[in-house]
Amino acid sequence: MSNKFRIRIRKAIANTNLQIALDNNAQRRTAGRLSAFASMPDHEQRRQRARAVKAEVVGRMDKILEQFIEKASANGMIIHRARTADEAAAIIIKIIQQSTSAPHPLVAKSKSMVSEEIRLNEALESAGIRAVETDLGEYIVQLRGEHPSHIITPAVHLRRGDVGKLFEEKLGIPYTEEIPVLTNTARKVLRDVFLTADVGFSGVNFGVAETGTLVLVTNEGNGRMCTTVPPVHIALMGMERLVPAMDDLALFLSLLPRSATGQKLSVYTSLIHSPLPGQTRHLVLLDNGRSALRNSTLAESLYCIRCGACLNACPVFRELSGHAYGSIYPGPIGSVISSALIDPQYAYLSQASSLCGACKAACPVDIDLPSLLLRIRAGEVAITKGAKPEAGVGLPAPVKLGLKGFRLGASSSLIFSLGQRILGLGARLLSPRRPWMHLPAWTGWGLSKEFPRPAVKPFRARFHGSEPEETVLTGKPDQVAAESRQGLSEPDLVEQFASELAVVGGFMVRVKEKDLPGLLAEFLQARGVKRILVDEVGEKVASPLEALGISLIQEPDSSVKVGLTGTLAGIAETGSVVLLSGEGDTLKASLLPEVHIALLKRSQLLPTLEKALVMPEIARAASGVVVTGPSRTADIEMTLTIGVHGPGEIHVFLIDDL
Amino acid sequence: MTDTIQLFITCLVDTFFPESGEAMVRVLNRAGVQVEFPRGQTCCGQPAFNAGLRQDARPLAEHTIRTFEKTRGDIIIPSGSCAAMVRHGYLELFKDDPPWLGRARALASRAYEFCEYLVDVRGLADLGAAWNGKLAYHASCHLLRGLGVDRQPRLLLAHVKGAEIVDLPGHDECCGFGGVFSVEHPEISAEFLKRKISNLDLSASPTLVVADTGCRMHIQGGLVRQGKPQRVVHIAEILAGNGEPK
Repeated sequence: MSNKFRIRIRKAIANTNLQIALDNNAQRRTAGRLSAFASMPDHEQRRQRARAVKAEVVGRMDKILEQFIEKASANGMIIHRARTADEAAAIIIKIIQQSTSAPHPLVAKSKSMVSEEIRLNEALESAGIRAVETDLGEYIVQLRGEHPSHIITPAVHLRRGDVGKLFEEKLGIPYTEEIPVLTNTARKVLRDVFLTADVGFSGVNFGVAETGTLVLVTNEGNGRMCTTVPPVHIALMGMERLVPAMDDLALFLSLLPRSATGQKLSVYTSLIHSPLPGQTRHLVLLDNGRSALRNSTLAESLYCIRCGACLNACPVFRELSGHAYGSIYPGPIGSVISSALIDPQYAYLSQASSLCGACKAACPVDIDLPSLLLRIRAGEVAITKGAKPEAGVGLPAPVKLGLKGFRLGASSSLIFSLGQRILGLGARLLSPRRPWMHLPAWTGWGLSKEFPRPAVKPFRARFHGSEPEETVLTGKPDQVAAESRQGLSEPDLVEQFASELAVVGGFMVRVKEKDLPGLLAEFLQARGVKRILVDEVGEKVASPLEALGISLIQEPDSSVKVGLTGTLAGIAETGSVVLLSGEGDTLKASLLPEVHIALLKRSQLLPTLEKALVMPEIARAASGVVVTGPSRTADIEMTLTIGVHGPGEIHVFLIDDL
Repeated sequence: MTDTIQLFITCLVDTFFPESGEAMVRVLNRAGVQVEFPRGQTCCGQPAFNAGLRQDARPLAEHTIRTFEKTRGDIIIPSGSCAAMVRHGYLELFKDDPPWLGRARALASRAYEFCEYLVDVRGLADLGAAWNGKLAYHASCHLLRGLGVDRQPRLLLAHVKGAEIVDLPGHDECCGFGGVFSVEHPEISAEFLKRKISNLDLSASPTLVVADTGCRMHIQGGLVRQGKPQRVVHIAEILAGNGEPK
């Protein structure tokens, strides 16, 4: 183990502020995940199905990747492939430089761990390109000149006071610990970035091979901004992040947000196929060690969907946070993949685990992380550059020596029992009175605990055969009554939709078609709204309102407070609405204003996400999004704040047409 | 029906806690089981295996396989992590060596953790044990998540007369032992241990029950260092008890 690592460990443990932040993270995230999964009784079957899908993807990666590339190119995306981190950064820089004549182009970046992996921000900076992170947590760490300390919650190591001080210093606002004020400050700064950026950049959560879809899961709305507002969109994706088809995607979307943030679905699930009118879309597919991983005994690590659940469950991460690991991929999964994707030196991270298995238990695709850590410890790595680490990588020399000595002693029962006797007597001489011996701190053990004195007479010397008792106990273990699950009656879709939407902070208004204009007018007049941004459906429905002095705007305009759009479908199990590009500017009208009114017909309401995702309209649209509640963030101390980059309010007008 | 089992006592019980080994024999005898103790046994090889030194783990694993191959009947292991080593670890250790893999599989199919054996194989829940006072149960990592054994020890404890089973907050969190982890990463290990002990304080139980001797040694070592009065005992000692304070 490197001494630097030990120094970072000690620093992290001594940092009280950090320890409080990490305890909060572990407790809240674990509770959130467990309660989200409690709402899905078949979660274990889903987990195993997801694992099987990923095994298929990794097993037939070449074929599935080929299909995906073919489909995505046919959709109009420009595909680039990069073998290494440097290649990927060079490709991205070239695209940016060719897209704009600005001397210092501005890139609005949505969260992407792969961009951290290739150190994209550093590369862009040295090419004279200004990149601004737009995810609140990422923005905070970027302002601090740091890297994320968690793959999902980049600022997990900070508390509100840290952010208050940072914004006071860098953004010139008075010091505050009010999270909504901090969030709103970032919103204002970043809104300008979205509207003036030359290029939008994003990561990718899933690629769907059958349809060539890029799927992006976000809560704040910055992902939607980066992929819809600037004239150029560049997406960067690890080549393993594929699922075969849309129904598989539905399966993974039922697992990812639950595991990551305890949500049934993230607020925005973007489904991107083609460039929007006037837009160019690039996709950079990155290998950077993934092929080597695939051909190693660590191939299972490619099943990872980067939910961060193993970090939240890991008691080691809970003490250290991401920065102490050194690698941008921390925690159990990071300790497995960092030596292959970042730097071979990170093989020593495999020793930073007690092998407690909480990571495997939390993993939504059941990756056997403890076994993979053990393989790296044994020197089974997927390293393409540099020398392979030896077995026992990261172990201090005395520990290695001790284990080798133990091997000699335990290879024969004669030596073993002799050793026991010598140890037993020796310990009795050293510690005649105390059955628990004091070892000094340098032994490691002695830092926090006493060591048991070996017995003078071990078990093997005490055992002289045994006799079972006459009165033999027999019996069957108590039958633990199987939890009888009551047959669920077909839920009323409207009721389910309304209650799920309420859970995520949205509102539903049920309305008859003929009453719609009147109700809309009432809603807008109550708020003193005179102008609304509409898509095609919105325009049709709202045209009678023009007589009441309400003007309908089609071009995005930052002063418009309310957006009115149609929807493709509603999803009862998550309280979501599905929006597509195409009929007017639905995507912008549902994103830029502070209030979004979505028009949903009763007949468009579907029971499940899966039913919605397989609708052919989705694959035909340039881009679509599943919206689940108002825009939100929990990037500061995991405190929920509503209304970040997207609308702070969503009202679904459910039109009874049945 | 009298069955004969082979006791794989594990090096930690053998060397440090022989009394708990004797309690296991009493419990198994009470369950009508004839206990044999193959004298050639030493250690399953888990410490070196977990450290990544597979070349050093292998001779011990081979030695264990050879020793128990000469015997018949189920192999009972009073430790979740050693049982997991025999059941899962050996299959990984010999994954590229088909002849040894076959022998490891045969051994794995005979191996049971102590509580698992009593409940799932013998069909027992009530061993006629009695205990006076509160008990809190710590679910050891490899027993709980490695073998999926949790219901069994809890069921056995639930039938101990006079015992009041209380919740241990964070019952499924690692105590920080993790074999060489406890000496290799002493700072991190110490933090886990601190949390475990403060959760034990919260449980207000004077006695913590474990089914893995590594955890016992670690948590008790921490309690003694901190000058705390609580005791950690192996579940066999509870099941062998008759209510008299020891």
